[in-house]
Amino acid sequence: MLIQKEMKLADVLHHDHNLVPVINRFDIHLGFGEATIEEICEDKKINREFFLTILNAYHDHQYFPKKHLQSFPASSLVNYLSKSHRYYLNEKVPEIESYIDDLKENKDLNTETYLLLKNFFGQYKTELTQHIEREENLVYPYVGQLEKYIEKGIVDRSFLEEMEAYSITKYEEEHDDVEAKLYDLKNIIIKYLPSTGNDSSYYKVLRELFMLENDLNDHSRIEDHILVPKVEAMEFTIKNMRTNDA
Amino acid sequence: MPERLSVILIEGSYLLQSGIQSLLSEFPGMRVTAIFDGSEKHLAEKVLAKKPDVLIIDPNTANLELLSFLREIDANNGMQVIGLISNETPDNVVSRFPHVLNFFECKYDLLESLKAILGKRILSAGKSTNNQNLSEREKTILTEIVLGLTNQEIADKLFLSIHTVTTHRKNLTNKLGIKTVSGLTVYALINKLVDIHDIEHK
Ligand SMILES: [Fe+2]
Ligand SMILES: [Fe+2]
Repeated sequence: MLIQKEMKLADVLHHDHNLVPVINRFDIHLGFGEATIEEICEDKKINREFFLTILNAYHDHQYFPKKHLQSFPASSLVNYLSKSHRYYLNEKVPEIESYIDDLKENKDLNTETYLLLKNFFGQYKTELTQHIEREENLVYPYVGQLEKYIEKGIVDRSFLEEMEAYSITKYEEEHDDVEAKLYDLKNIIIKYLPSTGNDSSYYKVLRELFMLENDLNDHSRIEDHILVPKVEAMEFTIKNMRTNDA
Repeated sequence: MPERLSVILIEGSYLLQSGIQSLLSEFPGMRVTAIFDGSEKHLAEKVLAKKPDVLIIDPNTANLELLSFLREIDANNGMQVIGLISNETPDNVVSRFPHVLNFFECKYDLLESLKAILGKRILSAGKSTNNQNLSEREKTILTEIVLGLTNQEIADKLFLSIHTVTTHRKNLTNKLGIKTVSGLTVYALINKLVDIHDIEHK
């Protein structure tokens, strides 16, 4: 289903409830009654094209916006991506940690195994945090600079040189997959933990891991297929701009 | 974890993209890792950098620069290049492709053509390895990996070639479905292949 501006947001969520955290990142919260997407965006001063792009990209894995990339500013995208980073680190990860903590209560699971899982997830957390910090400290400020020069319509020669050294193509190349450890953890829980006859505490961890993995996949897809092409186009604009000998 | 074949699709039409993906989903081991619409800058470099097993290209979408060296890509990179053609595609375009798939064929014939092009790989991909239990050799190598040795160090210690070690490593990773060293460590500890104290002192 392609999500369009005339639709009621409530109907969209009936169709795909995984979009609840996504709309939250736009400061939209449940309780919007019969309002359509168009009305909500107007009310909340949200860039409608951008909102629709993100909803569709999450909802339909084959959605690729191509021509609509120009219809919203890069800063909205970066802002959105940062908000989802906060969601992973401040909400999802602690939630999973607490479910892993609950495994202690399962008397059939020995303490060493419990500690192994806890420790393993701790390593994953470090890895995810580093990935996110790199994006926020390096990539996003770079996008901000590009946007600034495009607004001014003139670019400093020194910045063009910096662009030679770091371009978004580099990010695309080194943008690694943060899901490998999650995949391993799921497999360990599914296949290799001692059978305890009571799976409900395992299932809770597992369900959260699957959800986090999905969300991260969607997030990376937005980075690879929306952020990268958009920034490539901005770099192209800048290379063809008047230069300032600073 | 079973072997997977990664596929890159260069196709500008949404309808054809979806159709091809639906067709490929018949083979559990095939996975479309990227779709390009053909308008991307430096497309050839991007594709080569991702090293897919299979590259499917619609000649109506891809630019001429890319079309001009398809045979070289196929021959030099262990990548299979398949052109998506129709009954109307001119011969001089068809001949640029090492393999072709005619999208007017019915589903059954399309699947058969894919099997003919990709051979055994397509059928074995996606199927779980029969013997899931690790061999003694694999267990030994797993232990060494977990203790922090590099492939070269393991090869020296066990008097094996580095190639053999890499192969064992790949097989055991596939059998267990665990890719990272920390994941393997957890597995080895749960199964008492190593002792926690050995790891702490590594
Ligand atoms: Fe990110
Ligand atoms: Fe990322």
